[in-house]
Amino acid sequence: MKLRSLIEAWNAFFFAPQSPLPIVLFRIIYGLLVIATLTLLRPDWLAWYGPHAWVSLSTMHTLEPGTRLNLFAVIPQTDAWINAFFWIFLGSAILLTIGFLTRLNSLLVFLCLASIHQRNVYILHAGDTFLRVAGFFLIFAPAGAALSIDRRIRIRRGKEDASIQPRSPWAQRMIQFELALMYFATFCVKLKGAPWLQGTATYYILHLDEFKRFPIPSWFLHPLMLKLESWTALVLEFSLGVLIWVKELRYIILTLGLLFHLSLEYALNIPLFQWDILSAYILFIDPADITRAWDWLRTRRVASPSHPA
Amino acid sequence: MRNRPKQVGRPTNALTKAKYITINAFLVFHILAIACWCLPIDSPLITLCKDRVRPYFLWSGLFQSWDMFSPLPKSANTYVEATIVYKDGSRTTWTFPRMDQLSLTERYFKERYRKFAENLPLDQNDALLPDAARYIARLNSTPSHPARTVMLIQKWSFIVPRADGSYVPEPWSQHILYGYGVKPEDLQ
Repeated sequence: MKLRSLIEAWNAFFFAPQSPLPIVLFRIIYGLLVIATLTLLRPDWLAWYGPHAWVSLSTMHTLEPGTRLNLFAVIPQTDAWINAFFWIFLGSAILLTIGFLTRLNSLLVFLCLASIHQRNVYILHAGDTFLRVAGFFLIFAPAGAALSIDRRIRIRRGKEDASIQPRSPWAQRMIQFELALMYFATFCVKLKGAPWLQGTATYYILHLDEFKRFPIPSWFLHPLMLKLESWTALVLEFSLGVLIWVKELRYIILTLGLLFHLSLEYALNIPLFQWDILSAYILFIDPADITRAWDWLRTRRVASPSHPA
Repeated sequence: MRNRPKQVGRPTNALTKAKYITINAFLVFHILAIACWCLPIDSPLITLCKDRVRPYFLWSGLFQSWDMFSPLPKSANTYVEATIVYKDGSRTTWTFPRMDQLSLTERYFKERYRKFAENLPLDQNDALLPDAARYIARLNSTPSHPARTVMLIQKWSFIVPRADGSYVPEPWSQHILYGYGVKPEDLQ
């Protein structure tokens, strides 16, 4: 491959304008996931982040030194201020979801999310981490370009017409890169563990009491099945990290990934983790297919007897 | 004059060109830095790269590690409990919420406690223990019945694979993680 064609491929990948629908839909799902995270944390806002929390601010500074983007380091440490922080955070997440002052609210949501993560890193799962790093790149994306209050305002003011303008997808590509890298890094780390190579890893996972959710059929725990499950996880994580970039294989891999996460959601108790990760799958769907699906849904809605045209 | 085909995504005017160069620098830096940070490759170059980007990653919140159930999945069921001894000599036991003993809804709300109790016994997190002991003392004290000592105890039961895939729970073992003498100011 010549350098010139490499640069052209880079430009096409990061900068060729495309419909912003995938990143817009991601923004809505992302906002809902942040709202869900805050709602689930609600009874323990002060227990984890308050002035007398499980881990004090000074202990966090000792364990995690260095300058951090952490609003808790600057706001007064009182119950009222901490509660106010969370209500503002929640309000901002709602505004991001509906797409009002989208850029500002994506920045605010990221700042607040990074702050609660920096305030206590000992209660985070990988889904939280993914939301944080995806949130960083979402700040730069045209996330309010469609399905947003911002767009309605722009149309009303005559700054935009009814058609959605194509945008450069470089920020969306970075979130896609993060998702693929997450799978590939997990695959690489798993290769260093003998239980994954021997096929016994899922035996341990499925017998961890803290993770058990719904009953698993006994044949699923047969030694041969356990080997198959461990190796399937490796193959899927490799595919979702590497082969997902091959256009012809993408939808097959996304479908398998979806089934993989749904089976984990059934079997394991890691609230929101699967949904945090699955949220970014939308970014891999061709905008033309999203438009087609949207039109199909609208046609069905119009054709439905309960919604006469 | 021959018309050159327009290259996809290439900038045209000077301002757009400056923006294009800035975005490209941003992209190249972040792709390389994130890859170096995440991929488990033992190389002096990768270590050097990690060291250089560490302050920025820690500051910005871009730090990340992806090692779900790997390289070794946890091979024991564990939980952490606390024995609280009061000023009058009486004692009580308080246990971190155990997911297997909670309803489906409760598990959604209390998952953070599972993660915290998982991190608490790790050697590198020793500094968390006094804070946790103080919190438990406050949780279990009243002005008329103050706690005097808090002992954090880790319990575990190994998961031992069997040839036929069956599972028999092993007996529970325990060890004391930390003992803390509660001060009056801890209960304020």
